[in-house]
Amino acid sequence: MRTVHSDAPVVRSTDPAPAPVLSVEGLTLSVRGAAGPVPLLADVSLTVAQGETVGLVGESGSGKSLTVRSAMGMLPSTATTSGRVVVRGTDVLRAGGQALRDLRRSAVSMVFQDPRAAVNPVRRIGDYLTEGLRAAGTPRGQARAEAVALLEKVGLRDPEKAMRQHPYEFSGGMLQRVVIAGALSVRPSLLLADEPTTALDVTTQAEVVALLKDLQAERGMGLVFVTHDLGLAAAVCDRVYVMYAGRIVEQAPSAELFRAPAHPYTAALLEAHPSLHGPRRQLRAIGGRPLALAEAPSGCSFRDRCPQAVDACTEGVPALRRHGDSVAACIRPGRENWT
Amino acid sequence: MTTVSRSIGPWLARRVLGGVLTIGVASVVIYGSLRLVPGDQAATLAGGRRLSAEQVEALRERYGLDDPFLTSYGRWIAGVLRGDLGISTVYQDSVGTLLSSRLGISVALIVYSATLTVLLGLAVALLGAVRGGAVGRFTTALTSGAVATPPFVAAIVLLSVFSVQLGWFPVTGAGEGFLDRLWHLTLPALSMALVAFGVLARVAQASFTEQLRREHVEVARSRGIGTAAIVRRHVVRNSLGPVLTLVGLLVAALFVGTAVVETAYGINGIGSFLVSSVSRQDFPVVQAISLIAVTLFVLMSLVVDLLMPVVDPGVQKERVRA
Repeated sequence: MRTVHSDAPVVRSTDPAPAPVLSVEGLTLSVRGAAGPVPLLADVSLTVAQGETVGLVGESGSGKSLTVRSAMGMLPSTATTSGRVVVRGTDVLRAGGQALRDLRRSAVSMVFQDPRAAVNPVRRIGDYLTEGLRAAGTPRGQARAEAVALLEKVGLRDPEKAMRQHPYEFSGGMLQRVVIAGALSVRPSLLLADEPTTALDVTTQAEVVALLKDLQAERGMGLVFVTHDLGLAAAVCDRVYVMYAGRIVEQAPSAELFRAPAHPYTAALLEAHPSLHGPRRQLRAIGGRPLALAEAPSGCSFRDRCPQAVDACTEGVPALRRHGDSVAACIRPGRENWT
Repeated sequence: MTTVSRSIGPWLARRVLGGVLTIGVASVVIYGSLRLVPGDQAATLAGGRRLSAEQVEALRERYGLDDPFLTSYGRWIAGVLRGDLGISTVYQDSVGTLLSSRLGISVALIVYSATLTVLLGLAVALLGAVRGGAVGRFTTALTSGAVATPPFVAAIVLLSVFSVQLGWFPVTGAGEGFLDRLWHLTLPALSMALVAFGVLARVAQASFTEQLRREHVEVARSRGIGTAAIVRRHVVRNSLGPVLTLVGLLVAALFVGTAVVETAYGINGIGSFLVSSVSRQDFPVVQAISLIAVTLFVLMSLVVDLLMPVVDPGVQKERVRA
């Protein structure tokens, strides 16, 4: 709790652009459980500049989906929060229902993991696409024309026909293109992609990622790319935040993250991931299992699984420390300091 | 559209054939029930009247009691297919004529009751599902009570409170003219609708609640769609499948329910006619009404199946493929 605020200036100085489209400052979140509050996020801070692609990487339960959903004000109903989540000047955590709806209709949109679940199965593709536009007050005819143009843009061969079709008539990859078109329909300045390729075939994944990047470059949106795949994040993103047990443990430019991971958790993730390049090596699994914030030990959350842990790791949550171009929540950041 | 209707052709043919077979088997059972009545069937048909030997002989001749079962069944069913439902043993009049004079009031009662069932059922289900929590538990308790209240109990309670004590509604009769008829049929329709309302509201509330938890609803919220539009276009729209299926069955069940309710409220419709015909052992009438009930169930389920692709487009694909 105490760390990030004191180190906030350090974090800010690494941001490449002055006017962020998303700024999360010290977001702490807990939900009501059977035996009192269950903490899920602690002191999460991140920024996304216009035209920037930011990766959010972590294992299941690390809080990455929750963090990205907070940018839309989509929090669990029993959540209590502190900190600030600012999108285009609006503090999302304190915004009322109407302000949130306005924001979602015009500034932020999201691409979801499983397009089959995200699109209402009994309605037509055209209904899905125009729904957001109609809610924002676009006249019916214009909404339809924009929807057709969007379908063409995301690469559907016969957009007029697709408008009248139902979700079951599409493959997962094509349906994810429809979801992307739906997300773009509101002309967002911030696009949130929550594991957008996890449910797709590998070849389709590459197409969807390329499409997202093209659209982002064309429209200058900020893009948050949530994934559990560090390699994919590094390939897609300018900067990557690594999350562990509800906290951000490292933030670095993508190339730097690969070249010189500053946090032992990032290093362990990289070693657990197979690579097509370089000499063949043994893949190393991380011992133990991923933890949620509520079950994390005192001090550094990762210390029980960390090969570099020392006695000092039990003394308080480590502050974010600068290491080269990276920032890591470790008392001994950087490989050269490890044994 | 023509290619679509052609491609579901085989499905439709199988479906209609199945319905005809169901009615056929039911008709054998219905007709055979006359032969299962213990004792002399001629005496049963005479309904306790003392008859001479010649009269008994004429009766046996007329109803083909000395013929083999299949011969007399064949004669009956051939008549039914021509639209001749036989002669009532009590009224000595054509069953078709006797039924058609009573059909209108029963249809009015069923339509009224079905309308109340659907409107109240969906409204209560929606309230329970959208509000959830204590409201959801209250509506569940309410509908549990409704399901557990048989129509004759509902009829007695409603009559004693609203007709006898408060005097707001008539005790008996069917009324003249539209508004007067509506007024007369309100309590009977409510008594009949109670169980159907409970069943429909429970199923609909469960379906609404399930849809509200679906991801496409969360996605719609994430796109800034208002609650009313989400409920209409995502929650209710996606629940129409199970709701429609159930309404079809409930409407057919309401036809059967007229027996108790028309008797309780002294309405001279098909239902009370069935009850009086059973007690007077007027078999041609009982057989005809039973056959109509079976046909109604089969027809309603066919209508529901034909409407299903409209509310759930995936169904069409399965039928074409099958």
